[in-house]
Amino acid sequence: MSAPAPRDLTPAAARPRPAEAPAPARPPVATPPAAVPTPSEPGPGRLGLSRPALGLVLLALCVAPFALVLAVSLGVPEDGAAWDWGLSLQNYRRVFVGLDWPETTSRLYLARLGWSLAYAALASVVAVAFAFPLAWAIARRSRRTQTIWLVFLLASLSLSEVFVVMGWDILMSNRSGLPMLFRESGLTDALKATPIFDWLREQGLASPRDVRFKTSVPLTVLVMAYLVFPYAVILLYPALSRIDPAMMEAARTMGARPGTVMRTVVIPQVRLPLLGAVLLLFVFLLGAYVVVTQFADPARHTLTVSIYESVRGATLNAPFGAAQAVVLLVAAATALLAASGLARLAERAR
Amino acid sequence: MSDLRLRDVRKTFPGGATAVHSVDLRFPAGELTALLGPSGCGKTTLLRIIAGLEAPSFGRIELGGEDVTDLPAHERRFGMVFQSFALFPHLSVAENVGYSLAIAGRPKPERRARAFELLDLVQLSGLGERRIGELSGGQRQRVAIARALAQEPSVFLLDEPMSALDAKLREEMQVELRLLQQRLGITTVVVTHDQREAMTMADRVVVMSDGRAEQVGSPQDIYAHPANAFVAGFIGKANFLEGTARGGAVRLAGGATLTADPPPSFREGSPVVVACRPEWLRLAAASGPNRLPAAVSFVRDVGQTREIHLDGPSGRLVVELPWAAPARPRLGETVHVEFPPEMLRVFPAEAAAAAA
Repeated sequence: MSAPAPRDLTPAAARPRPAEAPAPARPPVATPPAAVPTPSEPGPGRLGLSRPALGLVLLALCVAPFALVLAVSLGVPEDGAAWDWGLSLQNYRRVFVGLDWPETTSRLYLARLGWSLAYAALASVVAVAFAFPLAWAIARRSRRTQTIWLVFLLASLSLSEVFVVMGWDILMSNRSGLPMLFRESGLTDALKATPIFDWLREQGLASPRDVRFKTSVPLTVLVMAYLVFPYAVILLYPALSRIDPAMMEAARTMGARPGTVMRTVVIPQVRLPLLGAVLLLFVFLLGAYVVVTQFADPARHTLTVSIYESVRGATLNAPFGAAQAVVLLVAAATALLAASGLARLAERAR
Repeated sequence: MSDLRLRDVRKTFPGGATAVHSVDLRFPAGELTALLGPSGCGKTTLLRIIAGLEAPSFGRIELGGEDVTDLPAHERRFGMVFQSFALFPHLSVAENVGYSLAIAGRPKPERRARAFELLDLVQLSGLGERRIGELSGGQRQRVAIARALAQEPSVFLLDEPMSALDAKLREEMQVELRLLQQRLGITTVVVTHDQREAMTMADRVVVMSDGRAEQVGSPQDIYAHPANAFVAGFIGKANFLEGTARGGAVRLAGGATLTADPPPSFREGSPVVVACRPEWLRLAAASGPNRLPAAVSFVRDVGQTREIHLDGPSGRLVVELPWAAPARPRLGETVHVEFPPEMLRVFPAEAAAAAA
């Protein structure tokens, strides 16, 4: 997984003005001192950057890299790892229908895109579903307890993906992890006597002799969810802590049982934060890499893995990697737009 | 309709703080009772115990002779208006009002009909489709009242219902709430720290301090005959003069003697406090029995009354004269303040410190 992008936590006012930002042009004629510039006037905005400067920063940080990737994706691969600029759509054709189209059609990369979306969607929903009760419990505690929990969660984010995956790898390994525990405790034999074992085999979670969790879709999703779990709690916590406890008490005096209070008062108020958390984690998890290479079946690897292979790994085909990256980005953007559109529709229908 | 009774209710929080010492109270059916006291006196805790939101550490709560102590809040279903109103921002006004009926599983048309009926009752006709965020503070309070009444509760509880409103609106709402309560004839308990609010609305006032009910009575009764120095100081204004009991009268610190009618029965020489409300004092030109000389230090003319602040040998005094009173003392002038014996209340001294 790509490391979380370092966020700029400097207060906007403290940020140095980029050198290329032209100082806001002062009118040569002295303005009357009473005239206070309104926000709509061109000039330094609230961020302390003039509009053109802000535009330049956006251009340098967001648009330019994307434009570069887009340009590379139109290039033509040559012998070895070399490639040349071009205006070819063959890389995209390869992503969607395969190199030999129209003779044969390959959906390999579309399937990988599908796995990317599926893992990320499932894992973000699982993470938020598990994070909600914890965030709720934390938000009901005393200030001091809340602080301790949040510090703990933030600290756990310092564990790198590699480290977490290694831990899970050991935990799930056949010879020393959970399967060993199952075997030694006799649970495996007990399971074999029941239809559950057959079901596990159908799901690919057992070999004829043993339970086997690697490689599997559930484990991949679970570890992905585990990776973003602290984020999920931290994303949900502010919304949940803002809910006035008196609201829940009011609902109780009106006949609502605790479960009904949760369903009718709490969850409806945090619907948007819930959706927001799922979407954010979804986008974040589209970039998951290590966890997929370790826990997913090679036939079920994601587009992220094959992008890496194209750009840095075995296949070394930068234009093709760039094309896959563009497709992944567009798919993610489409998913986000669709989700927010659905949310808006649901809001209106109420 | 049936009385609500608290029998020896006590509440001690896990930390060891005692919010309510033994409280025995009867809330007569159909009456409005105000729990009045300074902040931290346990009045809100007591209201929450009545609502079922807090369990008493000891004692019983009875409604019409039936023990409801162990009934959880959602089965007790006393309508409650919260200080913050606690309206649901994700629901419309009508949905807020109909919430209790929705929980009870009543069909939607019935809920809506009842919600609109209640909104009419609290004079919010036509606002049923609004969002909570679009309402003013006063409108929100009306919605909170309508919502609490929707389930036709046997007891109606209000926790500092006016504290979020501005002063003018507060007075209007006090009258309006009282009229509504009388119309519905619902047993009501209001928690407030504002004695004017309690006097405006309540049939009976329970003055609380430090987790105890200090006095229970009608507003007039409590005002005219405070049970102790705390009540005298908390309800309305009072002049307090320290002295000692001497032969059925009070010898003040300054040496003068005041007689009270009926004469107080204290042990000879025990420290006492004489309380007298500013409007019960009179000004006289010459000295005489039960009169103390004092110099005018400040005159505050507030329209319907005139407050005369005085410095005398027995301490500072405030006399409140009606607007039409002929006496117009000037600053620095020495006058004689008359203490009518039948208007003096004498209390033991130790409670006075708490009231000041």
